Amino acid sequence: MPILNIIGAVNYALDQEMARDKTVVTYGEDVGLEGGVFRATVGLQKKYGADRCFDTPLSEAAIVGSAIGMAINGLKPVVEMQFDGFVLPALNQIIGHVARMRNRSRGTYTLPMVIRMPYGGGIRALEHHSESIESIFAHIPGLQVVIPSTPYDTKGLLLSAIRSPDPVIFLEPKRIYRAFKQEVPEEDYFIPIGKAKVLKEGSHITVVAWGAMIREVQKAIEEVEKDGITVELIDLRTIAPFDKEAILKSVKKTGRFLVVHEAFKSFGPGAELIATVNEGAFLHLEAPPTRLAGFDTTVPLPKGEDHFIIRPDRIAHKIREIVNF
Amino acid sequence: MLTEKFNSLNKEMFSVLDKDGMVINEELLPILEKDKLILLYKTMLHSRIADSKALQYQRQGRMLTYAPNHGEEAAQVGSIAATEERDWLVPAFREMGAWLYKGVPLEQIYLYWYGNELGSKFPPNVKMLPISVPIASQLNHATGLAMASKIKGEDHVTIAYVGDGGTSQGEFHEALNFASVFSSPVVFVILNNQFAISVARASQTRSETLAQKGIAYGMPNILVDGNDVLAMYAATKEAVDRARNGGGPTLIEAYTYRIGAHTTSDDPTLYRKDEEVEEWKKKDPITRMKKYLIDRDMWSQEEDFKETESYEAFVNDVFKKVEASGIVPLEDIFKYQYEKMTPNLVQQFEEYNEFLKEGGK
Amino acid sequence: MYKFKFPDIGEGITEGKILKWFVNSGDSVKEGDSLFLVETDKVNAEIPSPVGGIVVSTKAKEGEIIYVGNVVIEIETSENALKSTSSLNEPIDKKSKAIDEGETAGVVGELEVSSQIIAISKEEKPSLEDESSIKVLATPVARKLAKDLGIDIHKIKGTGPVGRIMKEDIYLANEEKLTVSPVSRPSSTASPSILIPELKFAGEVERVPLSMLRKTIAKNMVLSKSVIPHASATDEIDVSKLVAFRTQSKNMAIEQGVHLTYMPFIVKAVTLALKDFPMFNASYDDKSEELVLKKYYNIGIAVDTPDGLLVPIIKDSDKKGILPIAKELSILSEKAKDKTLTLDSLQNGTFTITNYGAIGATSGIPIIKHPEVAVLGVGKIAKKPVVVENDIVIRDILTITLCIDHRVIDGGDAGRFLARLKSYLDDPVLLVLS
Repeated sequence: MPILNIIGAVNYALDQEMARDKTVVTYGEDVGLEGGVFRATVGLQKKYGADRCFDTPLSEAAIVGSAIGMAINGLKPVVEMQFDGFVLPALNQIIGHVARMRNRSRGTYTLPMVIRMPYGGGIRALEHHSESIESIFAHIPGLQVVIPSTPYDTKGLLLSAIRSPDPVIFLEPKRIYRAFKQEVPEEDYFIPIGKAKVLKEGSHITVVAWGAMIREVQKAIEEVEKDGITVELIDLRTIAPFDKEAILKSVKKTGRFLVVHEAFKSFGPGAELIATVNEGAFLHLEAPPTRLAGFDTTVPLPKGEDHFIIRPDRIAHKIREIVNF
Repeated sequence: MLTEKFNSLNKEMFSVLDKDGMVINEELLPILEKDKLILLYKTMLHSRIADSKALQYQRQGRMLTYAPNHGEEAAQVGSIAATEERDWLVPAFREMGAWLYKGVPLEQIYLYWYGNELGSKFPPNVKMLPISVPIASQLNHATGLAMASKIKGEDHVTIAYVGDGGTSQGEFHEALNFASVFSSPVVFVILNNQFAISVARASQTRSETLAQKGIAYGMPNILVDGNDVLAMYAATKEAVDRARNGGGPTLIEAYTYRIGAHTTSDDPTLYRKDEEVEEWKKKDPITRMKKYLIDRDMWSQEEDFKETESYEAFVNDVFKKVEASGIVPLEDIFKYQYEKMTPNLVQQFEEYNEFLKEGGK
Repeated sequence: MYKFKFPDIGEGITEGKILKWFVNSGDSVKEGDSLFLVETDKVNAEIPSPVGGIVVSTKAKEGEIIYVGNVVIEIETSENALKSTSSLNEPIDKKSKAIDEGETAGVVGELEVSSQIIAISKEEKPSLEDESSIKVLATPVARKLAKDLGIDIHKIKGTGPVGRIMKEDIYLANEEKLTVSPVSRPSSTASPSILIPELKFAGEVERVPLSMLRKTIAKNMVLSKSVIPHASATDEIDVSKLVAFRTQSKNMAIEQGVHLTYMPFIVKAVTLALKDFPMFNASYDDKSEELVLKKYYNIGIAVDTPDGLLVPIIKDSDKKGILPIAKELSILSEKAKDKTLTLDSLQNGTFTITNYGAIGATSGIPIIKHPEVAVLGVGKIAKKPVVVENDIVIRDILTITLCIDHRVIDGGDAGRFLARLKSYLDDPVLLVLS
């Protein structure tokens, strides 16, 4: 069985899908010849030809806009935004059209398309290369937002995304693109969009996280277990629509809730989860549902980044605080 | 090649019929069957009628805000007529004549302006995208449709419309650039009606013509008399053939005039002179074509009256149907966000339904 | 006849001025023909006729202001044309003022436009906080718990951070419902917090969780022992006469359906002694530093139950005879063992008697039940050799121990109380007669 890191899993999944389904095409800046600046699409142009895997001019709006036309006209485009910060010019298309085409045409035109991009911080890069704007997409009706945390999940989710009849924003936590490897089965397998995963069972507190934060939370859990605190860890995997049922079931068991995310705190995804916990599990709460999130500041440049990235010690501290409420 | 004959950099405009319907360029006159010519004319006439009636309905308080097409019929109908049923039409929002020619039922068009999404649910054989409100963004969809046709090895062409205002949008540039790079089979038609609401064409860009912007993309381009339906047909036909034969995209500027207001909530007297409008009324696209046909015994005044009367009655019937269509069913608001409603949508829908059942208290 | 109302032509206008009529009475019009030119603040518009027919009359003159929804022209229709324009034209308030100059139309959609003037805006000055309504602090789980147990959460004192009511406080309150403690507050004379070292074990252990009752008892014992300075006095009483009397009366009592023990006599004796020495039937109010003497006599009898110690109360023991007391004792004892005691039977005691003699102990040192100020411990009655007028005789001897709250009672008082008690117990005739 192949042992791959996350970027390898992206490439693997794309390769298999493009082999299986001739309507799958992938393109973006540097996607074709070079195989993407992170090598997500390496080897695909050689295998499937420049018709199906190609480079584009530097035009995010056109990349996404043309994907809309392609999806309407019978193809399954998987387009790449080179970095999360560069998706901004394409927001006119994503929010104005990608999210709306099915509803606007009452189901006549639907968009089986995927927009992939490396997302999140912690890689010591320039401005706009460390963004976590999943909230912006999750807020828009008609979009699906997916964030894997392991190579296994990456392939399972990407396959689901490519085969989904509705558009998916596929955010890849670049910080852990190459941080570890895992067995990724050769055969087709699907992680359903909208399903979270309980990575660890516990009884004192429910902690929800996704992407690169999963590893940090796991380290924090090791710490607090020494104090006898058991944590139930949930990997959300899909931000929109998220697995409300799994979260509520867990909170009803533990009575305490913490969500950890890189995205800015105010008006972030954590706020949505906490509102849901309040609405659905209020009488079970032993402590206020809490979020530990990025500061409401622009993501700092590398020399200040360490303050911004959430480390395991902050997570452990927050867990203890809530458990001892 | 018309695009070579008429150099946009020199402001050379292609036309074959003058404002009085006289042929001024015999050798470039497109050869068309009578049926086709009558169809061109009738469609323009129908568009004019449906358009004016829509305005009337609006003034009667029976229609919401409406964007009239008066004066642009030839640019719309002449261009679309050069395409086939298998080709795609990507509209902006002011191409009534083109939509009618393409086969969009009038009821659908009215439903849209009446405020119902069902107006964008076109019949299966009508390959047209819904109206695009974000200006010029539809051009990228057009490029995508065309790229897909090419990848699939189909000989389908996409024709896309944009206004003079839209040429200032970044996405106009991106779409044309993309289409050129990939040699996509798409025809871009700029309906230059001289105004973007109140902003006159000269204030939109320093380019002397809009067609010449194509040069920057290495794209064949041509400036055409937009009120000349036969010239529009000929220019578009050449572009469509070029695309279909793998020659890539073309940019056509249809030079026309918006006789009416931007929409029914706009007062053009604030930004332009009546004299200018009167001048352009003399160049009416329908009048000149009618004259051309009558001169060749292909049409008559009596047929014109009859056609007008019968279509007016038809329009009335259609609009009555639209008026009776009622409000959008609650479920429709929820069930088209995704293929299947998400848990949140189900919950919100059920909650609101409960509220309504209890009498909305 | 078709009455044409001036429609809102989509910009939320409410009125307009007729600039020019294109038709007159008697004119024939087709649907769509322009009827008149109206001036609004946005556009000058020609209004087309929605029907065909003959104009009957016009309702406004050129130059006149017309309002949306009002009839401006009547047309006799040639066929059954539309009855009226659609409901988009509901008549509006005629009194609405002219639209302000310079309001812009939106290019699409319909804006609501009106000259209505709303109240002046004022920035709020920061107001003083209202101290009167303070909510209890409690988590949702705690609140639900209180509700489920039927406890008013407002009456519970919270021991959590910032006075938050913890679940433990609620459980306690629930137990106290059964075991009588009133609302407690930190004592002004309570000892400072003590650091209890961690338990360490040297072998296998079994952990048995405490029942709620046990936890309550534990809490109460700690309270008593930490707040009340205990002092005790013990004495041996010759109860031979009492023993004889009881033996004599036992059968008669059984006929009355009563199981007669020594306890009713002791209760009676104690009650009489309390009447003579009111300070033993009291509570110490450490807040006001007052000794509160009670004029009612509720004697609690400690009962050993499988779950733990319960103290049912014999209310108004001064008003009851020995047999009634005996009967009541039986009943209460049964109920205690059945766990069917009511709250009423456990509350408002003034003095407690604990009988460790019943399980074979000779003497003991009991703990005072806060907020009482004394407790009597009663041992077993045993035959012992005693000296009477230089002879050794065998007598029935009962050892009793009195513990007192030394803040308000001294050894002398204790001695005197014991002596009086002794005198009552010495001769049962005295008990019956009093």
